[in-house]
Amino acid sequence: MGSILEVRRLTKRFGGLTAVAGLDFNLGDGEILGLIGPNGAGKTTTFNIIAGTYAADEGEVRFAGEPILGLPPHQIARRGLMRTFQHNRPFGGMPVLENVMVGAHTRFSRNVFSRKASTEERDRRRRAEELIEFVGLGGLRDADVGTLSFGQGRLLEIARALAGEPRAILFDEPAAGLTAAEIDRLAGILRGIAERGIAVLLIEHDMRFLLPLAHRVVVLNFGARIAQGTPQEVRSDRAVMEAYLGDAAAL
Amino acid sequence: MKRIAWVAGFIVLAALPFFLGSYHNDVYRKLLLWITLALGYNFLFGICGQVAFSHFAFYGIGAYSVVILLFQFNLPLPVAIVLGVVICAGIALVVAIPATRLEGFYLALVTLALAQLFIVVLNEGGNVTGGTGGIANYRLPPIFGWRIAGPPYTLVIVGLLAATFALLWRLDHSWFGRACRALRDNPEAAAAMGVDVARTKVIVFTLTSALAGIAGMVYAFVDNTVNPPIFGLDNAFLILFMVIVGGAGRHAGAVIGATLLFLLPFWLSPLVGHHHQLIFGVLVVAAILAQPKGLIGLWDRFSK
Repeated sequence: MGSILEVRRLTKRFGGLTAVAGLDFNLGDGEILGLIGPNGAGKTTTFNIIAGTYAADEGEVRFAGEPILGLPPHQIARRGLMRTFQHNRPFGGMPVLENVMVGAHTRFSRNVFSRKASTEERDRRRRAEELIEFVGLGGLRDADVGTLSFGQGRLLEIARALAGEPRAILFDEPAAGLTAAEIDRLAGILRGIAERGIAVLLIEHDMRFLLPLAHRVVVLNFGARIAQGTPQEVRSDRAVMEAYLGDAAAL
Repeated sequence: MKRIAWVAGFIVLAALPFFLGSYHNDVYRKLLLWITLALGYNFLFGICGQVAFSHFAFYGIGAYSVVILLFQFNLPLPVAIVLGVVICAGIALVVAIPATRLEGFYLALVTLALAQLFIVVLNEGGNVTGGTGGIANYRLPPIFGWRIAGPPYTLVIVGLLAATFALLWRLDHSWFGRACRALRDNPEAAAAMGVDVARTKVIVFTLTSALAGIAGMVYAFVDNTVNPPIFGLDNAFLILFMVIVGGAGRHAGAVIGATLLFLLPFWLSPLVGHHHQLIFGVLVVAAILAQPKGLIGLWDRFSK
């Protein structure tokens, strides 16, 4: 399996605190990789570095073979690496369909005055409608995003990221705040995304959600990788047990 | 079908001046110019969410530029027009590039300062700007031997409005307009979707400022006089009021707001004299508090 995303020796320090310490991992096409760890392990910092929100102190991040470290978020999206937000960030002034269409921003040809522009707009609209169906928001196409429930808002985040035709999507705790039924639905959607050949990187807290879903798991503690492997391997790893000491029930 | 309706609408707008007397032609021209300005400002403020107070100053910069280039530097009309657009776009770029990199509040401050500075420059400009008295008693040079005046010049303004509207409508109904609305609603999420937020803001500010400048050039030959009081801050705020009262973010809102606030003083002045400003103020506060989507929002609610 070819790696779409490669993270090497990634290091980030905040003053005296090393939030990420020489982290290495790969993400393959169509793979669901979980990045887990106790609170403060450096998951979110890692996520923000890959997505272009933070700068790193050392290391390398390659996407589709090219270095992306230091690129601003919009250029990372343009290359086909999309993200979702843990706290939903919809575009409040637009209905659901238009929100999803913004996700396709980088896939339009530049010239808005060309004859091609209106057919392109129509094609993208049809694709956006398919994606709305795919995530289970069918029938809410024209709804005001303010009327969506929190769970529906999360699904909108996913449809919007898919509209950019990404090769990989970073999910920032996608199960956070969802009901049990919504979490089941979400797992199905994430599997469907991976089956399309899109790589999925999940930053996740909820083990009961992550372990049955992920193909592979990377465990962080104090910014460093303490284990990686299949969910079964990680579950029985000594270092992981110790990191989660007192919280072993969660595994 | 829809296109036919639009064309028919503009034919009506174009035919109207030939049935109006010279006083009403003058009112009509100014109404069309205000609508043109409001459409541009709506794109900047309503659609792209940038609070700027320089829109009317660019109208003045356009007007003064074309007059100075034509009559102080004796340049031919096409050169004066092109140079005028370049001046407006150039000043807009110089203001926008540093200002949009900062948070929105700073754009408001910088553009307010620009609008004030413009008036100072006009007053202190000596022979070039004509000082406090401005420049008057000039006429539009002949174009291919023809002096455009009267209703045909009103047609020029209808053409300006149609072209401005067509351009802004096309942009709004494309990925570009969507990117503008997205960065207005949530800049961080817009960036994550691939929108270059700073670049898009600079493009919109420069484009709408240049459009205001072009409208100003056309205005310069409506009254055939340019002077500092015309381009003061009162009108800078009036344009903001027009867009808010009509409904920010909607083209129809800009048209309704501009029409209402431009025509209102004509009806109110006999009743309340110059206190119509007070009524505007109340209208704006009422719109913000009770109907943030403006009159067009009210219309939507009742037409459903």
